[in-house]
Amino acid sequence: MAKKSKARAQKLSPRQQSPQKPLSPRRWRLKLVIGGAVLAVALGVGGLVRFLQQRDLAPHLQGTGDKHYTLGTAGAAVVIKEFSDYT
Amino acid sequence: MQRFEGQVQLVLYPFALNPTSEVATQAAWCAGEQGKFWEFHHMLYRRQELWNRLAAPLERLSDFAKDLNLDTAALKSCVDSGRMQERMQADKVYGQQLQVSSTPTMFINDYRTVGTQSEGELVRLIRQELNRVQPQGQ
Repeated sequence: MAKKSKARAQKLSPRQQSPQKPLSPRRWRLKLVIGGAVLAVALGVGGLVRFLQQRDLAPHLQGTGDKHYTLGTAGAAVVIKEFSDYT
Repeated sequence: MQRFEGQVQLVLYPFALNPTSEVATQAAWCAGEQGKFWEFHHMLYRRQELWNRLAAPLERLSDFAKDLNLDTAALKSCVDSGRMQERMQADKVYGQQLQVSSTPTMFINDYRTVGTQSEGELVRLIRQELNRVQPQGQ
């Protein structure tokens, strides 16, 4: 513990070192708010990335590709895109 | 497909995962230039065991093409010219954009299904999608 405190003290700026006093409740609250906001943004970005990966990329699937062989009716309500390998 | 006539369209994206399959894909498209894509496509599956382990399957595929009364010289020349490469690459890129990493992968409208599906399961998925996009009474 003592080592850790020392290490922390070395990192603090001179202004912060003297006089050394615990953070006021207001500063703690500010830190919590900032930390919470950062966490929320990170979770949001993570969630968005996951959503984009998991949804089936609808915009890319609209319409049928030119130069592709098709069966059935063009403009049908259901379009099946089949990716298959001959081997 | 006949069961859902007028309601469903299948778009095929041959997705070559190895060099042997790349040759087969190009050969199928080249057969398509002679108006026999689907015949060749079905034949590739029917006789799969006879060619799918060959490193250079074009000769064998050309033999099969004879059975479909295709111009085999034209087919070979078409494959050798590499003019289907770009098309094949475009499909690969498209598949990658859709995060296709294994075959078969199907998209029934926006719904993705990976792996071989039984006919019953496919019918169920198509019906489900039809009900979603065309609710009864509309």
